[in-house]
Amino acid sequence: MAGATSDRERASTVRPTGSTALVWAGAGVALFALEAGALATFLTGMVADLFAFVPPLGPAQPAVATLAEWANAAQSAAREVPTLLSRETIPNGGYWNGRRWVGTFLGLEPALAWAVRVALVYGYAFACAGWAILGYRLYRREIRPTDWSPRDDVVDRFRSHTWGKFGLLVVFMFVVMAVFAPALGPTTVEQNMRESYSHEFSYWNSDAGEVQTTLVGQANLQSQSTGTSSRVMPFTYDDYNRYHPFGTLPTGRDLFTFIATGSRISLIIGVLSVGLSALLAASLALVAAYYRGRVDLGMVLLSDAVMAMPQLLLLIMLTQVLAETWIGGIYSGAFVLALIFAGTGWTYMWRSVRGPALQVAQRQWVDAARSFGQKPRVIMRRHMLPYITGYLLIYGSMTLGGAIIAIAGLSFLGLGVSPPTPEWGRAINLGQDYVTTGSWHISLIPGLLITIVVTGFNALGDGVRDAIDPQSDSAGGAAAGRGGGA
Amino acid sequence: MSRLTYVAKRFLLAIPVVWLGTTMTWFIIFMGPIDPATRLLSQGQTRNPAAYRAAQEQLGLNTPPLEHYLEYMTNLLTFDLGQTFLLYQGSSVNALILDFLPRTLWLGFWSVLIAVLIGVPLGFYAGMRSNTVADYLASFGGIVWRAMPNFWLAIMLLALLGSLQGMIGVSWQQFLVPIDAISGSPDMSRIGTVDGFLAATKKVLPAAIVLGSASMGNEMRIGRTAVLEVRNEDFVDMAKAKGVSDRALVWKHVLRNALVPLVPIITSEAFLLIGGSVLVETVFGINGIGWLFYRAAIQGDLPLVGTLMYVFILMIVGINLIQDLLYTVIDPRVGLEGA
Repeated sequence: MAGATSDRERASTVRPTGSTALVWAGAGVALFALEAGALATFLTGMVADLFAFVPPLGPAQPAVATLAEWANAAQSAAREVPTLLSRETIPNGGYWNGRRWVGTFLGLEPALAWAVRVALVYGYAFACAGWAILGYRLYRREIRPTDWSPRDDVVDRFRSHTWGKFGLLVVFMFVVMAVFAPALGPTTVEQNMRESYSHEFSYWNSDAGEVQTTLVGQANLQSQSTGTSSRVMPFTYDDYNRYHPFGTLPTGRDLFTFIATGSRISLIIGVLSVGLSALLAASLALVAAYYRGRVDLGMVLLSDAVMAMPQLLLLIMLTQVLAETWIGGIYSGAFVLALIFAGTGWTYMWRSVRGPALQVAQRQWVDAARSFGQKPRVIMRRHMLPYITGYLLIYGSMTLGGAIIAIAGLSFLGLGVSPPTPEWGRAINLGQDYVTTGSWHISLIPGLLITIVVTGFNALGDGVRDAIDPQSDSAGGAAAGRGGGA
Repeated sequence: MSRLTYVAKRFLLAIPVVWLGTTMTWFIIFMGPIDPATRLLSQGQTRNPAAYRAAQEQLGLNTPPLEHYLEYMTNLLTFDLGQTFLLYQGSSVNALILDFLPRTLWLGFWSVLIAVLIGVPLGFYAGMRSNTVADYLASFGGIVWRAMPNFWLAIMLLALLGSLQGMIGVSWQQFLVPIDAISGSPDMSRIGTVDGFLAATKKVLPAAIVLGSASMGNEMRIGRTAVLEVRNEDFVDMAKAKGVSDRALVWKHVLRNALVPLVPIITSEAFLLIGGSVLVETVFGINGIGWLFYRAAIQGDLPLVGTLMYVFILMIVGINLIQDLLYTVIDPRVGLEGA
C-alpha cells in the first residue's frame, strides 16, 4: 500500500530536479515575510510582559527595569514592520461621508473590507498548512534515504480517514481563529470593551446629515441587543455604521470580537491543561507499569479517590479556594484553571494509558534492557514511552474538547476566567435572558461554535485512533471527552 | 477467586478511596490558602475580633490541625454533619441533605432511564442497518448530541418549551399534565399519587433529557458497535442456518448478547450525571444537592461544600460497587480472571 502511493506520487512530481527543495524553502520565506512583523510584535510583546511581571527584586531592580525598557522599545519597533494581515493594512472601520466610504480598505463598505481580511487570514493559514504538507511529502519522497517507515502507514491511514480529516479541518480553523484573533475581529477588545470610553470614532449621522464623532462606549449603549425592539443582529450594521458579523452583546459590544478573543483563552487553557495531564498521566502510568505491585495499587487508589470527586464539583471548589491567591491572578485566572484541570483530569488519561503501558512493560526488550543494567528511568523513557505516546495523542484530543466544554461551563456559572476577559461560556450566560426574544443570537452562536469545535476534537481523536491502532475502539475515552458532565 | 471474595475485595478497596477523597477535601478546605472562618463572616464582621473568634471556634479551627482532622473525619463517619453557617443559616445539614437529595435522585433516575430508552434502541437500530443513510444520520446525530454543552442545551430547550404556545397552540405547562411552571423543583411530597407522580415527572423531564444527553450519545455508539460485533458471531450464523425466524434471531440472539457490554457503561455514566447536575439544576432552577453545592461554593460556606463533597464521594463509590456487583451477575468470568 505504501509502495503504491509513493509510486503514484512520484508520477505526479512537478519537476524531478534537485531545486524543488529550494523552491519550497523560498515559498516558506515568502510566507514568513508576510507575517514577520506580527510574529516579531508577538515575541517582543511576550518578553515585555515577562519583564513587567517580574516582582521587584531589590538589587537587580535597575537591571530589570532597563531590560523591560529595551523590550518595550523592541516591541514598538516591531509594530512598525508592515504586515499583510493586520487591521492597519486592511482597515474595516470607516464612515460614510454622504457620498462614499472613508477610511475603509479601498473604499469598500466595512462588511466587505472585513470579509476580505478574514478571507486573507484563512487563505494565508491554509497556504501555510499546504506548504507544510508539501514539505512533508518532499521530505518523504526525495530527501529521506529510506523508502518506507512504519509511521508512513499511520499517516496514510489518517489521510484516507474522512471523518478524522474533517476533525482536523475544524480544529485547524479554530486554532487559526485563536492565533489571528486580533486581526479577525471587526474591532479590538481594547477599543470596544476594555477602554471604550477613551476611543473616539467618526460616523455618519443621517438625521443631521453630517459626519460626527462619538466615544465607542457611548455608541455601544445605543447598539445593545436586549430584546426584540433594540437589537443588532448578525451580519448587520448598527446605527453608527459599525459592522457586526455576529451581532452585539447585551452591553452593545461586538460579539465576534468577543468570541475570537475568547477562543484564545479556551485554546490556551485546553492545551496547557491537556499537556500537563498527559505528562502526569504518562509518567505515572510508566512508573506503575514498571514497578507494578504496591506502587500500581497505590496509584489505582489515588486515581480512584480523585475520580470519586466529580470533576466539575472539584473544579468549582478549587477555583473558589484558589481565587484570591497570587497564582489565581495570572492571565485572568486561566493559568490556575489549567493547573486544576490537569490535577483533576489526569486520572481519566492515566486509566486509558495504564493498560498499554502494562503490556509494553512485559515485552522482552524491557527485560533485556533491565538485564543490561540500564537505569529504570532510561528504560521507561526510551523503551516504553514511545509505545504509549499514540494513546496520549488520542485521549489528549478528546480531553481537549471536554476541557473547552468544562471551561465554558465554569464561566457560564461565573467562575473561572475573571470577567473582563472574554470567554465563550460567559457570552452564553449574558444572552440567557434574551433567548426567547429577538436577540436570540447571543446565546445561540457561542453554543453552536462550542458544539462544532468539540465535535471536531472528537473526530480528530477518532481519526488518530484509527490511524494509530486500527483494531481498537476507545469507548472508554468517552467519559474523557465530556469535561465532567458540563 | 470466587465472586464473593471478588466483591469483598472491591468493597475493601473502596474504603481507602473514600478516606483519601475526604482527606483531600479536608486539606483543600481547611489547610488551603483561604481561611474558612473569614469566609463565613460578612464584610463588617471580619474586623470584629469577637465574631471572628466565635466563627473559628464553631469550625473548630482553634484546635491543632491533627485534632481537627480526626474530629472532622469522625463527624463525617458518624454522619454528625452539624449545622450550616451561611446558606439556610443554622439548619441541620443532615436535614438539608435529606430534603435536597431526593430531587437530585429523581432527576438522575429519569436521565438514566431516558438515555437508556432512547440511546440503546437507536444504537441497536443503527447497528442492525449499518452503513445505510439511517445509520449515518443516527450516528452523526449521536456524535453532535454528545458534543453539545449541557448548560447551553438546557437554555435552548427551555426557550423552545417556552415558545411552544406560539408554535402548536398549547403551552408546555398545560400539555397533557398541567404543571405550574416550565422550570423549577419537582414536588416530591405527592409522589405517591398518580397525579403527583406524573406532575413531578413532567417537571424534571426537560432537565433529565439534557442531563442524559451525553450518556445517550455514548450508549448509542456502544450499542451500535455491540450489535455489529454480535451479528458477526458464529452462533448467529448457526441460528440462521438452523432456520430461526428473523424476528427471533434479532430479539433472542443478537440484541440480548449486545446488551452485555452496555450495562457497565450505563452505571459509569453516573459520574457524568452527578457532575453535570450542578449546571443543569442551576439552569432549570431545581433545588437539588448540585444546586446546593454551587450556592454553598459561591457564598463561601466552605464547610458545607466539604460535607457535600463527602456525600458525592459516597454516592460515586456506591455506584462503583453496584457496577462491580452487576458485572459479576452479567459476566461470570469477571471474578475468575484473578484480576
